[in-house]
Amino acid sequence: MRTRMQSWSLVVAASVFALPMLSWGQLTQYDLETRMGTESHVGNVTGHAKDAKTGYRRYCVGCHGPLGDGNGENFPWVDPKPRDFQLGIFKCRSTPTGTLPTDQDLFDTIGRGLDRSNMPQWNALSVQERADLVAWVKHFSPRFASDKPGTPIQIPPEPEVTADRIKAGRDVFARVQCWKCHGVLGQANGPSASTLQDDLGRPIAAFNFTDGSRPKCGSTDQDIFRIFMTGLDGTPMPSFADNIKPDEAWDLVFYLRALMPQKSKERDMAKQLGLKPVDMNAPAAQQ
Amino acid sequence: MRVSSRLHLRNIFQFATSFAAVALVLTSIVLTCSQPAHALPAFARKYGLRCSACHESWPMLNYFGQKFKDNGYQLMNDRDAPIWQNPSYWPITLRMTPFWSRESTNKVAVDNAALDATVEQKLTTTGFTLSGLDILTGGTLEKNITFLLVPSADETGAFHFESASVRFDNLFRSPWLNVKVGKFELDSFISEKRGLTLSGSGGGFQLFHFIPVGDGNIFGQVGDNQIGAEWMGHSYNDRTRLSVAVFSSVDGNVDQPYGQNSYTAFIAGSHAFGAGKLGVQRIGGYAMFGQAPTTYLTNGGVPLPGTGVGNKSFSRVGFEGLFYLGSKLDVQVFTQHGSDDKWFGACFGDIITGTCDPFNNNSTGGPGLPDGARNPTWNGAFVETHYIWNPQFLIFQRSEWIRMSQQAIPGTPSNLGDIDNYVFGYRYNPFMTSRAGFAFHNEYSWIRQRGTSPVSGTDLSTNSLMLGFDFDF
Amino acid sequence: MRNRYNFAAVLSAVVLICCGALILGQKVNAAGEGKISGTVKFDGTAPHMKVIDMAKDPYCSKAHANDPGHLETYVVGANGGMANVVLYISDWTGSAPASTTVPVFDQKNCMYTPHVLALDTGQTFKVTTSDQTAHNIHPNPNPMTGNIPWNQSQPPGAPPVEKSWKAPEFIEVKCNIHPWMHGWHAVVKGPYATTDSSGNYTINNVPPGNHTVTAWQEAAGTQTQKVTVAAGTAGTANFTFKAK
Repeated sequence: MRTRMQSWSLVVAASVFALPMLSWGQLTQYDLETRMGTESHVGNVTGHAKDAKTGYRRYCVGCHGPLGDGNGENFPWVDPKPRDFQLGIFKCRSTPTGTLPTDQDLFDTIGRGLDRSNMPQWNALSVQERADLVAWVKHFSPRFASDKPGTPIQIPPEPEVTADRIKAGRDVFARVQCWKCHGVLGQANGPSASTLQDDLGRPIAAFNFTDGSRPKCGSTDQDIFRIFMTGLDGTPMPSFADNIKPDEAWDLVFYLRALMPQKSKERDMAKQLGLKPVDMNAPAAQQ
Repeated sequence: MRVSSRLHLRNIFQFATSFAAVALVLTSIVLTCSQPAHALPAFARKYGLRCSACHESWPMLNYFGQKFKDNGYQLMNDRDAPIWQNPSYWPITLRMTPFWSRESTNKVAVDNAALDATVEQKLTTTGFTLSGLDILTGGTLEKNITFLLVPSADETGAFHFESASVRFDNLFRSPWLNVKVGKFELDSFISEKRGLTLSGSGGGFQLFHFIPVGDGNIFGQVGDNQIGAEWMGHSYNDRTRLSVAVFSSVDGNVDQPYGQNSYTAFIAGSHAFGAGKLGVQRIGGYAMFGQAPTTYLTNGGVPLPGTGVGNKSFSRVGFEGLFYLGSKLDVQVFTQHGSDDKWFGACFGDIITGTCDPFNNNSTGGPGLPDGARNPTWNGAFVETHYIWNPQFLIFQRSEWIRMSQQAIPGTPSNLGDIDNYVFGYRYNPFMTSRAGFAFHNEYSWIRQRGTSPVSGTDLSTNSLMLGFDFDF
Repeated sequence: MRNRYNFAAVLSAVVLICCGALILGQKVNAAGEGKISGTVKFDGTAPHMKVIDMAKDPYCSKAHANDPGHLETYVVGANGGMANVVLYISDWTGSAPASTTVPVFDQKNCMYTPHVLALDTGQTFKVTTSDQTAHNIHPNPNPMTGNIPWNQSQPPGAPPVEKSWKAPEFIEVKCNIHPWMHGWHAVVKGPYATTDSSGNYTINNVPPGNHTVTAWQEAAGTQTQKVTVAAGTAGTANFTFKAK
C-alpha cells in the first residue's frame, strides 16, 4: 500500500520525466499580480511593468501567452518556440551563464529582435514603451524579485585585426572544438549537430556562419564576443569564459568573421593567408 | 457671340453643378462601398502576430506596422521568403462590410408635376447593403522582392485592380533603396486605404479627392491609386521616411486612356521622434506636381482617347502630422493647398468620366478658354482623432474643411464648392487573435458643400448613419 | 518514600531524555552516530541496456574499443543488486549537514563518473574532465525550484568547475556534444547514500529516532520506508524495484 509520500514522490518523478514535453513555468495570474510594481532601468529611463500591460497585450501575447510562459495562441506554429519568461532564462545576456540578464540586455533583445525566429525587431516602439515592456517581462519570473542580475562580463577594447590574430583564432576554434557542433567551416554540420536539443528537449540547430544569417544576439564584434563568453542559456551553446582568455576571445571573433560571407577585413585576410579549415580528424593537441 | 457664350457658360455651369452634386453623393457612396481596405490577417497568420501588433486599430497602422510595410511586408528576420513558410500558407485576405445605413440628402432634383418644374426635395433612404469586396494578396515572392495585388470589387461585384505592384526592397542591403513599380497607393503616412471611417458621407478624405466645381482635373487625386514607379527610402527603425513617385497622369486607369506623355510626381517625406511619455510623433509633408492633357484630337467631332495634348499643370502640397498624446490618444492632421491650371478650372481635362462636356470643351478645335479664367486654388485641412480605449475598442472622429481661395471663372461665388465634413463613430472588435479581424463599426457623418444643390445652387448636404460589421480574414 | 523518589527521578530522566531526543533529533548537527543500511535489489530480469554507438566521436569509440559503453538507466549486478540508487531521509527537517567533502563528477571516456552524484543542498562539488575530447557540462534543473541551469564548456585540459545547488531536486545532467551522456545530481537535504555495484548502502550520521527513508532510482521511481534508529545501532531498509 503506497503512502501519500510515495504517491507524491511518484508524481514528482513522473513530472520530472514529463518535463521535456511541458513548459516548466506554471505560475498563476495571482502570483504575477504580486509583482506588478516591477521596474526596469535602461539608461536614464525607468520602465514600469503596470504601464506595459496594454503594450504586452498588443504586441507580445500572441506568442508569449497571457502568463508569459510561451504558450500563446501561436505556440504550435512557431519555431523556435516563444520564450517562457517565468523561467527567467534568457539567451542574450552580457552576464555569466546561470545568471539573470541586465535590463539593458532585455531592452536590446526587444529592440533588435531575434534573427531566424518570429521575434520581431521592436525598435519602432519608443524607448519608454520598450523599457516598460522590460519591466513587464521581468515581472513574470520570481527570480527577478529574489536574485540580482549577474555582473556583466568585462570586454577588453577591440584590437586591430591582424593575420596572426586570425590564425590564433583558428587555433582557439580547434582547441575548444567549436567544430563539434558548428562544423569545421562553420556550416552547422559538425558531428554533434544533428542531435542538439534545447533545455526543453526540442531539436535546435547550431548557428550556421556561412549562410548569411545574423547572429542571434546582435551583429557587432562585441555581440559575438559575448555569445561564447556567456553562453546562450537554455540552449546547447555553453559559456567558454573559463577556457578562453579575453585576448584570445578577440582572435576567435576575427576567425568567426572570416567564416561569415559578409564582406569584412577578416574574410579578405583569411583568403590572402590561404587559411585552411581545422582538421577534425587530427588528435586534439594537433588541431 | 459673347452673349451666346455667356448663356452657354451658364448652362454648362448648371449642368456642372447639378452633376457635381449627384457626383458628390454618388462618389462618396462609391468610395465607401469600394472599401479600400488594407488590413491583412494573412500577415498575422504568417508571422504569428496579432492584428494589434501592426495596427493601432485595424486597418490603421501603428509605427511597427508602418515599418513592416516599409520593409516590403517583411520582418527582416531572414525567414520572410516564402520558402520558409509551410507550403499550405497562402497570402490571401478577404475583406467586406455588410451594413445597415440611413442616407439623407437635403436637396435632390425631382420632377414636380403640379408646378411642371424640377424642384429640390429632401431624400432619406434606409436599408441593408454591402460594401465592396477587397481581395488582398501581398507579401514576399523572395527575400526583398515583394508584392501587393488587390483585385477589388464594388458592391455589385464588378472587379477592378486597386493595387498591383512589385517592389524591390533593400537594394544593396540599404533600407534607403526600395523601388516599387505598378499600381499603388501614394506614400502618404495618413492613408485613406487604411482609414477608420466607412460611411457614405464620411468614409473617405475629401482632400484626397477634391475637385473644384466645374473643374476637369481628375488627375490630382492623392487618394486614388496611381500607375507608375516609386523610390522609397527609410531609416533602419523607420523614423525617417522619404519617397518620390512618378506616374502617368491617368488617375490609375489602365490602357492609357488620356494623353500620351503626361506624368505626375509625388514627393513625400516625414520624420518621427520620441517625445518621452507622450510617445512617438511623426511630422512630414507631401507635394504632388503634375501635368495632364486638357484637349484631345477628334474624329468626326468625337474626342479620341489617348490623344490628349495641351498638358497643363496642377499641384497639391501639404503637411501631415501624426501625434500621439500618451498611449491611448492620437491625432492625425492633414493639410492641402491645391492649385489647378485655369484650363482645368474651365472644365477642360477629363473626357472619360464626363465631368466636362467632351464635345465642346475637350476638342482641340473647341471654343478654348473663357475670358478671365484663373487658376482655381484652395486650402483645406482635416483633423482626425482616435481614442484607443484598448486594442479592441476605438472611438474616432474627423473634422474636415476645404475653402476655395480662388474660383476659376469670374463671377462664381467665392465659396462655391467649399466643404465641411464631420464624422464620428466607434469600432469594437469582440476578439483579437492572429487569424482574423472582425469589428462592429458604427458611424455618423455629415457633409455640406456650398452652392452645389442641383436646382437652386445653394448648399447641398448629406448625412449618413452606418451600423456595420467589418470582417477580414 | 524512596521508591517514589526513585520513580520521580526515573520519570524525570525519561522525560528529559525523550524531550532531549526529540529536540536534538530536530537539529541536523546532532551527534547522530546512527546508521541506516540495506540493499536495493531488482525484481526480475534486469532490462537490457543498449550498447552506445559512439561513432560521432572517434576519441570516445576508441576509448571503448574493447569495452563498449552501455546506457546506465538500470545498473543491476550479478546478484540483482541495483547500483546508482540514492537513499536519503525524506522527512529531514532543519538545515543540511555541513559537508567537508567536495565530491567530483568526472567526464571519463565520454561517460559520467559517477553516473549519479548524490549531494546536499549547498554542498560544493567539482566537475572535471579526464578526456581529450571537448565536453560541455550542462545540468538542467527546473528553475522554479531555485536551482538555475548553467552550461559551461570543458575542452581537453579544462580546469574543474566548482558549483553547488540551492534546492533539493533530481537534476539531469547532460552533454550536448555527446548526446548519450546522461548523469544525475541528486540534491537532497540531510544524510544520504548511494548504492554500490552490489546494491548495498549505508547512510551515516543518522540521528536516533524515526525516519522515513526514500530510495530513488532514475527510471524506477521512488519507494519509501519508515525506519527507527536507536542510538548506536543501525536501522535497516531494504528495497526492491521492478522495471517500469
